[in-house]
Amino acid sequence: MTAKLVILGVMIVIVCALIPPLVASSSSSGGGEKREFFIKARQYAYDPPRIIVNKGDELHIRLASLDVVHGFFLEGHDIDALIEPGVRGFKLRHPSEGKEFTDVNEVVFTVEHTGKFRYRCSHTCGTLHPFMQGELIVRPNYPFLAASGGTVGILISTLLVIFLAGKKDKDAMPGGDVQ
Amino acid sequence: MGNHPANSVDKAKDAPKDSGQVKPFRIDLFKTIPFLKKFCKLRSFQFLVIFPNLVIFVFFLYAGLFGSRVGNRNIIIIFVWIFWWFLLITFMVPFASRVWCVVCPFPFFGEWFQRGALIKVRSGKTGGLRNKMFGLNKKWPKALSNIWLQDIGFLALCTFSALFLTRPIVSVIVLGGLFVIATILAFFYRQRAFCMYVCPVSGFQGLYAMTSMIELRAVDPEVCRRECKTKNCLTGSEKGWACPWYQYVGKMERNNYCGLCMECVKSCPNDNISVFARPFCGDIHVKGYDESWKAFIMLALAMVYAVTLLGPWGTIKEWANIAEVGNWKGFGIYAGIIWFTALIGIPAVWALASWLGKLLAGDRSIPTKEIFIKYSYMLVPLGLLAWIAFSFPLIMINGAYIISTISDPLGWGWDLFGTADIPWRPILPEYTIYIQILLLLFGLFFALKRGYDVSLTLYQDKSQAVRSLIPTGVVCAVIIFAFLRLFIG
Ligand code: SF4
Ligand code: SF4
Ligand code: SF4
Ligand SMILES: [Cu+2]
Repeated sequence: MTAKLVILGVMIVIVCALIPPLVASSSSSGGGEKREFFIKARQYAYDPPRIIVNKGDELHIRLASLDVVHGFFLEGHDIDALIEPGVRGFKLRHPSEGKEFTDVNEVVFTVEHTGKFRYRCSHTCGTLHPFMQGELIVRPNYPFLAASGGTVGILISTLLVIFLAGKKDKDAMPGGDVQ
Repeated sequence: MGNHPANSVDKAKDAPKDSGQVKPFRIDLFKTIPFLKKFCKLRSFQFLVIFPNLVIFVFFLYAGLFGSRVGNRNIIIIFVWIFWWFLLITFMVPFASRVWCVVCPFPFFGEWFQRGALIKVRSGKTGGLRNKMFGLNKKWPKALSNIWLQDIGFLALCTFSALFLTRPIVSVIVLGGLFVIATILAFFYRQRAFCMYVCPVSGFQGLYAMTSMIELRAVDPEVCRRECKTKNCLTGSEKGWACPWYQYVGKMERNNYCGLCMECVKSCPNDNISVFARPFCGDIHVKGYDESWKAFIMLALAMVYAVTLLGPWGTIKEWANIAEVGNWKGFGIYAGIIWFTALIGIPAVWALASWLGKLLAGDRSIPTKEIFIKYSYMLVPLGLLAWIAFSFPLIMINGAYIISTISDPLGWGWDLFGTADIPWRPILPEYTIYIQILLLLFGLFFALKRGYDVSLTLYQDKSQAVRSLIPTGVVCAVIIFAFLRLFIG
């Protein structure tokens, strides 16, 4: 397989991976809105399980537990909360700043990065505790869009390149140069 | 595979290039690392690597019985289902084939009984073998000489995974039970019948070991064919036990059923066996429906786990968590979906794609069955990488539990290494998705690339080979897209 074909293959994958994010960024609207969510935790899920927002939105999140003590650790946002059942408000801390929890009624932050961020239970709450999680989706979800494009790209480019390589060395031994 | 010809694809039909190897490129590790050869040649090799593991295993059982009942505080859960699983699927199988089977303690007592020795070899005669072995040494029934039992066993076990993943006592029952079965079977059946035909974690290790970057093979198969009359690798000698996995190294061309026990290295009179490093996905021949279905089952389970354990949906967790919630109807739906997808859904799609591939190639002489079985190899790298992509967050999220349970293995409040109280904190969770993307795309690439190598064993014309690959290739891309959607979408 010649270097030229390999470069062609890589180019196809890159182009395919770039198209969906570019389309999404040029057509994306919204952002900068105030979004309020009330997330209820119970064994072993959050309600709502998925929250979908736009980049730049300001999130106001309140938390409550319907059964036992749960946690709420939001990836990539330095947020960790402890939610006790039967009380208003919850305890909040920023793990990077230290261990102390403070009582709050809501946590407010602006989403800067796009993609999927999971919120997980950070306080052992029962058998399936390690798998208790929800999802914050910040749109446009560039990583997902790029990866989806990349999938199509790999499909097309791999098949195309092996096809072209096969055509090229038609006189060579069968299967001689598949690497 | 040699042991159940009834199931294997007729080899005579294979196109000319059927070497069983993608490429002869390989590095003789016994030559480059003389210490490795020395170690493997030790009579005590097996004992030295298995015994420490046996001690650890017994301790895990003890912890499961008497330690904390909270899963993430008990070492049996954290180490077996999170740490061991992660190491097995991410490193051992892809890089070192069935290296787990080298150190696995399950067959320890059975093999000890059969050999009447932990270290030395007994020469003599048992069946066609040159070793004296104890026990009834029966042949395994022919109808079960395939991996169907392992296919179904693993699927059944995984249906109840939410139970033993979270409850130490259930883990003890499952692991201890397998240990007992392995031992009892050794009294009745020849050598490692349990490993070959029963062990639920054997089948997928064998299948995915085809991708492995090492292999144990004859250095020069010509020596086996021409000079070696005794075939001691298979039959044993006064230096080593007959292959416990019934493999004949002279013709061995796949990793699937070699447990890397290194007995043949000792028994070969011609010093003709070595361990080689080789490229990823070196063996490309799936043989028989039992192996194809293993690939389907593994893929289906990876998806089910991605949805159940890494997804946000509480209802599905509730269905899976039958012991705590007791929702039998929900559990029925959950189990039904798993079994249907694994045994009927994915295979049906695959059959359709194989048939379309045959149409596109325009060569009616090759039966759809053969395309179906052979192309199912594409799901081997694909499934393996999907499993790795699934297991990565598991370790990055729960890694802190590994460090804390090591100090407090039974959940009794000990602090052996001063790490018992380190707070739970996921390791770089926001970067996991990028690792997952790379893994999944890599899996798709290898599925297509090796799929093409497989197709060249069916079609001599290259453009025909590529055309035949399109439908199954599209199915693979759709599967990867589904995983992307679950993990990062
Ligand atoms: S096949 Fe199963 S029981 Fe046998 S050595 Fe491998 S893991 Fe252990
Ligand atoms: S004993 Fe050695 S030389 Fe003989 S067949 Fe086996 S591997 Fe080949
Ligand atoms: S082929 Fe050799 S290393 Fe592999 S299982 Fe048999 S005896 Fe052990
Ligand atoms: Cu919880």
